[in-house]
Amino acid sequence: MAQVNAAFLSKVITSKEFNATECMDCGVCTAVCPMEIDLLPRKLFHCVLLGLEEKVLEHTESIYQCLLCKMCEANCTANVHIAENVRFLRTYIGKEVFKL
Amino acid sequence: MSTRKIGVYICYCGGNISDYVNCESVRDAIAGEEEVKVAKTTMFACSDAAQQEMIDDIQQQGLDALVVASCSPTLHLFTFRGVAERAGLNPYLYIQVNLREQCSWAHTDVPDQATEKAINLVKAGIAKARLTEPLIKTRIETVPRALVIGAGISGLRAALALSDLGLSVFVAEKSDKVGGWVAEFGRMYPHDRRGQDLIADLVREAGLRENVHIYTHAELREKSGSVGDFTVRLDVKGEPVTLSVGSIITTTGFVPYEPASGEYSYGTDGVLTLTEFKRLLDGSEGGLTYRGRPVDTVTYIYCVGSRGSSQKDTPNMYCSRYCCNAAMHASSLAHELSPAVHQFHLFRDIRTYGKYELLYQDARQKGAVFIRFDGEDPPQVEKSNGRFRIQVKDMLMAGEELDIETDLVVLATGMEPRPNQALNDVLKVPVGLDGFFKEIHPKLRPVETVIDGVFIAGTAQAPRNSAESVASSLAAVAKTAALLKKGYVELEPLIAVVDPETCTWCGECVGSCPYSAIEKISFGDKEIAEVNTSLCKGCGACVPACPQGALGVKGYTDGQIRAMIDAMMIDMVEASRG
Repeated sequence: MAQVNAAFLSKVITSKEFNATECMDCGVCTAVCPMEIDLLPRKLFHCVLLGLEEKVLEHTESIYQCLLCKMCEANCTANVHIAENVRFLRTYIGKEVFKL
Repeated sequence: MSTRKIGVYICYCGGNISDYVNCESVRDAIAGEEEVKVAKTTMFACSDAAQQEMIDDIQQQGLDALVVASCSPTLHLFTFRGVAERAGLNPYLYIQVNLREQCSWAHTDVPDQATEKAINLVKAGIAKARLTEPLIKTRIETVPRALVIGAGISGLRAALALSDLGLSVFVAEKSDKVGGWVAEFGRMYPHDRRGQDLIADLVREAGLRENVHIYTHAELREKSGSVGDFTVRLDVKGEPVTLSVGSIITTTGFVPYEPASGEYSYGTDGVLTLTEFKRLLDGSEGGLTYRGRPVDTVTYIYCVGSRGSSQKDTPNMYCSRYCCNAAMHASSLAHELSPAVHQFHLFRDIRTYGKYELLYQDARQKGAVFIRFDGEDPPQVEKSNGRFRIQVKDMLMAGEELDIETDLVVLATGMEPRPNQALNDVLKVPVGLDGFFKEIHPKLRPVETVIDGVFIAGTAQAPRNSAESVASSLAAVAKTAALLKKGYVELEPLIAVVDPETCTWCGECVGSCPYSAIEKISFGDKEIAEVNTSLCKGCGACVPACPQGALGVKGYTDGQIRAMIDAMMIDMVEASRG
């Protein structure tokens, strides 16, 4: 049972540029990702939106494996800035986990 | 025995018939039939040239009956009745034989037998044509006034449109105020105008029109007469009011689905229906609060009372169509009130069709989070520490179990037909399995009912939003205008008749008539049944009910049907005798 924590989002969203809520869960990003990442963009950001902080942190590796190649972004039907959003997550992890 | 002069035309339908039925053989087989003066084949009987040829034949050969063996009468019955009429022949002396849908298309694999069947069908048509009689349509002068039942947005808009057309309108509203649901609402999608303002504009405009009369506390009690000329009796504040109107538009609206007690914890303070939440939003200023406390999280649950989801015994199987859009719009309104509010939408499928997709987009852009659940495994809602705890399996996360804490639970409740048995008993408009009034044809006759002159519109007919309701009510206005502006209606003469000599008035026929078209009258020194020619639809239900055999249907007399069966069977009987 995962506890939904709406407040988590405010830790990640530090700018209006973060727009993962616009995702409509079509899954194209997952299909086109060239990397074998455990938690691919659609699910990753769904977890972020639900505030499943633990689950997100479990996948710190995956978040850094992303090449920021924007293959997902170029194919996104909802114009989500996926690569940009990943960078937001990295900033957050940098602060929270690596205490940068 | 009178001698008829019958013209028979066998259509190829450009191959649709002639590829499987040997039309020449059919013609040869019937050309020698008694009383057949003309027997021809034609490539397309419905073509202008073929129609003109028939007219010439009728006039030059003095034909007094016409048989066209072509397609279904649904397609071309009126075409060939028109041919007869233009040739100076009574249109009811025309008989159509269906050689396409009922023969060639059905028997593509056995052309010989198809041809044999076609011969028998045409012979039956000729036998029927021999017994045709000229029939005259009933003509009714129409009354240039209309009754609208229900003064919601559909009814009021219809009233103004009828008034624009120069037709007088009476609007009967059951409650003490006009405007229906929309009069209660603040900002509505998609234009964001206030419902109160929309209704106020309509009411103000109606007040300026001399030919619009609105009655509140008014209910329809009786309806008599028929299409174009109804007499209706209303009960207005306890007083009877009798009106003469040409048509009736029924816009009686809906009631919101009322969840069963305990359905998603409904009944607990903080679990609201979409209507209740809309009221909360409309009444809020400078932040979303509930009972004085600021609201941090709102969780919506979709499809409550729709699409088979209900804890009641007979769940509504339809989609209520408006609720996805309305919930999205409510979400955006809540965000405007409190930009920091967290909103979770637990949905089964999102149906923000057409232009309303933008509402979905807007809600997402404003931070609403969507979680998909399985209709078979709905969310569980329980009260905990003054808030609510919702457990849901998120289908977008492979069924991951989520635990959401929320201040408010909003149930996106659907629409249900307004229970109104007394009105239904008067109008006699059939309702569908879902309980909404039923149209004749969902695509081609969307606001007409089987009761001529009675139209349906708005949410009395099906769940829909106010824009769609108004579109349908204006459609009903157009149909009313088509009916009443012409000044008269002509009714099919193919209706039931009583033989006054045989009838002994037992009353059996009255109960069998779905249109209440049979009445008792005096005939000489006895009582007999009489068919109201403007109410009878010619369905024939009364005919077998009569123990005396005193009833018949014009155009389908017992004599005609027997003659058709004889003509069809005679070859088969002779063949079996060897």
